[in-house]
Amino acid sequence: MISSFIANPAFLEDIIRILFVFVLITAAFTLSTRNIASLLTVYAVQSLLMVLIAIFLYLIEGNKTLIAIAALTLVSKVLLIPLFINLIGEKIKISRDLKFNYLEPTASLLVSIGLILLAYVFLSGFFSEFILGKLFFMGAVIGLSLTLMGMLVMFSRRKVITKAIGYLTMENGVLLFGIFVADLPFIIEILIVIDLMILVLLTTILAIGLDSTIEEYHQRLQTLKIWSGREN
Amino acid sequence: MNASFLLFTLLNTGFILLVSPLFMSLIKKVKAYAQGRKGPRLLQNYLDLRKLMQKEVVYSPNSSGIMRIAPYLNLAVLLLASLFVPVVFIPDAPAGIGNIIVFLYLLAIERFFTALCGLDAGSSFGGMGSSRLMSLSAVIEPTMVIAFAALAYVLRTVNFHEMFAITAGSTIPESPTLTLISISLFIIIIVETGRIPVDNPATHLELTMMNEAMILEQSGKNLALIELTHAVKQTILMAILINVLVPWGLVTELTFAGLAVSCLYFLLKASLLAGLIGLFESSIAKMRLFRLPSFYMMAFFFSALTILMEVFA
Repeated sequence: MISSFIANPAFLEDIIRILFVFVLITAAFTLSTRNIASLLTVYAVQSLLMVLIAIFLYLIEGNKTLIAIAALTLVSKVLLIPLFINLIGEKIKISRDLKFNYLEPTASLLVSIGLILLAYVFLSGFFSEFILGKLFFMGAVIGLSLTLMGMLVMFSRRKVITKAIGYLTMENGVLLFGIFVADLPFIIEILIVIDLMILVLLTTILAIGLDSTIEEYHQRLQTLKIWSGREN
Repeated sequence: MNASFLLFTLLNTGFILLVSPLFMSLIKKVKAYAQGRKGPRLLQNYLDLRKLMQKEVVYSPNSSGIMRIAPYLNLAVLLLASLFVPVVFIPDAPAGIGNIIVFLYLLAIERFFTALCGLDAGSSFGGMGSSRLMSLSAVIEPTMVIAFAALAYVLRTVNFHEMFAITAGSTIPESPTLTLISISLFIIIIVETGRIPVDNPATHLELTMMNEAMILEQSGKNLALIELTHAVKQTILMAILINVLVPWGLVTELTFAGLAVSCLYFLLKASLLAGLIGLFESSIAKMRLFRLPSFYMMAFFFSALTILMEVFA
């Protein structure tokens, strides 16, 4: 019964489409959630969706790199990075990021609809659906929109920790785009993940408390006499 | 008008009228359990309605004819709307029955008269409720239009009966995007029936009041009719969500066995959905009035997204 479903590409493509929908839902939550713990959960779920998409695509295409990507994503983005940020978050007492720059969540959701449209129009100028196939074209559009929405998160959030999550979301978008269009070599994917780890590490160290905004950070550096901001 | 449709009119309306108060009690019960209370009996709403029916109606000396006709008119409008959403079987309906646009207008008529009713007695509470309802309707109505437009776009028809015939005929959800649209529909149920986080149906506190404020002046039989209208509205909206997302069991042919199966399945699915609504209500807090547009915006976002996804697919 199950094996007959797995052997049926049309069914698998439908599943992948449903997963795309869930990816966009998680992106919407990343834009509007105020609680940092749930923001991390949303990010972990989003990465898990990437894993599932890669696995289902492997079942359709049979490309072994996809399985490797799925495994790498599972270990790094579903387990390690959220765990790490969570650990730091518990040490430094922060739970919410209430403030937004320039755009409130309502406006960001509207802007992101525009971004998705933009991604669609932009990509249809490059590849038509007939070259890529409908599913792959859709994957490319969703990947690019996710990247843009991650950028929007970085732009509209105040705290460094949420900005980092925006960057991680962007990377998920790049991964999705890579899976469906560019066929990134696996070595580059590994390098990106290492970059991410280091980024998260650096953010935590540099921010001296993930709860500071960039302006506060400067202030803190001065208070802690790490850097006075003036030439001596 | 054919015989099958006539029978449908009686059965569908009767069934919806009969089960609507049950779902209201069920939501109350789930909320009570979530708070560690026992809650009212499942039949309590029926008993309340019977009690109210026997009571005398008291009108404010300032009130006009609106106060007298609105409860009857609203129930009539909602019962007409219930013909648009088949729950027992899908009949051969005459043209116009089942049209989404007419359905939206029927809901708007009900909202309009409820607001007028709130203003009619001239009390400041009622006026406040009406003003809140109208200003929030200005935000939720475009969202509803987009949500139903998305539904129509996905299923390629503007008729509810045809839509449900399509979804009932398939085993998995007809299109992946229907999952998205059900989120919008769920938010619409919450908003239209005035539940937490939009409004709190359990209190008469000035800060939270919207729907309750408008019916504060009602009494006796009229109050019973208004409560029933509210329950019917909730059942209709729930039926739309159920028939779109999990339509299994809805029959298109009129047979006795088919009817029984349909009703039983609907009762089961709607009870589950009512439980879900109760849990949802228990899990979040009432939002500030000015925060509400962002809640509606979620529904708008998902509906717009549905249309976009359909264009890509």
